[in-house]
Amino acid sequence: MMRDDPIRRLPMALSSLVALALAVIPLPAALDVFRPDLLVLVVFYWSIESPRAGGLTLAFTSGLALDVINGVVLGQHALALTLMAAWATHLRLRLRVFSLLSQSLTIFALLTGYQFILFWIDGATGNPVTSFSRWFAPLVGAIIWPLLAGALGRLNER
Amino acid sequence: MVAFRNSDPSGRTSGLLLRCVLYSLLALGLIIVDKRYDHLGKIRRWLSIVAYPVQVAVESPFAGWHWFRESVTTRDALREDNVRLQADLRLAQFKLQRYEALESETQRLRALRANTADVASRFVIGDIMDLDLDAFRERVLVDKGAHDGVFVGQAVLDAGGVFGQVARVEQLTSEVILVSDPAHAIPVQINRNGLRTIAVGTGDTSRLKLPYLPTSADVVVGDLVVTSGLGGGFPAGYPVGTVSAVKRDPSQSLADVDVRPAAALDRSRELMLVWLPPSPVLPTAAAPATGGAGPANAAPAPAGKAAAPGKAAAPPAAAKPAKAPAAKPAAAKPPAGHTP
Repeated sequence: MMRDDPIRRLPMALSSLVALALAVIPLPAALDVFRPDLLVLVVFYWSIESPRAGGLTLAFTSGLALDVINGVVLGQHALALTLMAAWATHLRLRLRVFSLLSQSLTIFALLTGYQFILFWIDGATGNPVTSFSRWFAPLVGAIIWPLLAGALGRLNER
Repeated sequence: MVAFRNSDPSGRTSGLLLRCVLYSLLALGLIIVDKRYDHLGKIRRWLSIVAYPVQVAVESPFAGWHWFRESVTTRDALREDNVRLQADLRLAQFKLQRYEALESETQRLRALRANTADVASRFVIGDIMDLDLDAFRERVLVDKGAHDGVFVGQAVLDAGGVFGQVARVEQLTSEVILVSDPAHAIPVQINRNGLRTIAVGTGDTSRLKLPYLPTSADVVVGDLVVTSGLGGGFPAGYPVGTVSAVKRDPSQSLADVDVRPAAALDRSRELMLVWLPPSPVLPTAAAPATGGAGPANAAPAPAGKAAAPGKAAAPPAAAKPAKAPAAKPAAAKPPAGHTP
């Protein structure tokens, strides 16, 4: 599955790495709760754009990287990201013909699912974060989705 | 609709379900193994070395900016700093003269009580890396790790007081959980009367809670809260904070006490990682030492507090009836002197 299109690897890896860096870049505490899960959006984009280029492998490794860099229980983000990326891949044909608004709404659902899995594992491993503000991130993520998809599309065109 | 270029999106994503299940099981397995068995320490360390370049890359512009700002400070600012620091140093040295005398006195007294002096024996300065780990947890990353001998549970101080403890150690970095993290608790005592309790984080860097003090407890706003050294994780006697609010609701059995942390939890950049000397006689000495701490510390308190020493002295006497005759006169003396 990876032999067909070796060219696509570079933008994929590059955008994921940048998104990973942005996930831990320091922000003022007031803005921190609004930090969108950029890496998740990037993984969704590649899952929809080129499902055969190993979107799930990207999802799993990205999730693992988030676990390590955020210092949470190993496998938490990996599990959430794998499941949601698989769902995004499953929905990709419909997503492509959706209007921008419907796309954003679908992405919002996916991000909320992602956040819910994190929430659930947090609780199961004994560190529940019950603050309501954790649900802001999916909202912000859905709002910036059109911009991000456009930018990544431009990158991919090169 | 936007930006999707792939001309053949319907290409078979063969085994999507299979791979999804496979990866999910792998991730679940990781979670369980990491949580239950703690075998992943080594794997984590290696993964963290891979992640280190990313962390450094993110941090370096900020570190560079700090460096730049430091290097372009004006001569005036530096001179002002210098004057202020010299004044501070003079004051500190002045205090230190007394401190040394006090420390040797404490050593002698502790030797009398057959207790070990858990004063920090060695420390290493660590810099906080400018990274946001998790918006909902109070944790920071420090640039010292297993490589420098850091261990899990190690006490971390800053210039003001207790900052937190090491929660996880990687090869080159380690994660420090702040005293203000909701999952963090630290054994403390009120410096004024030796009242022991536990300070719990609230998730707010400017506030800790003392949730286990009874409504009748002798605690007032302004009391200094210090580490008690019980549990062995932290050195005893370091400031944790000052009591900032006490709410007593007569219908509740526990008081609502807030503490303002002494450490600059949201401003510090340099932290001290502390090594305690090994304590050889801890298990046997612990029981009499904690029992004796009540009367010894409460003795200077006003006579109205006589109930506290009596209460504190009771458990050891009850616990060791064989030793009671020998221990009783010594323990009973201070309260006897106070009671009219």
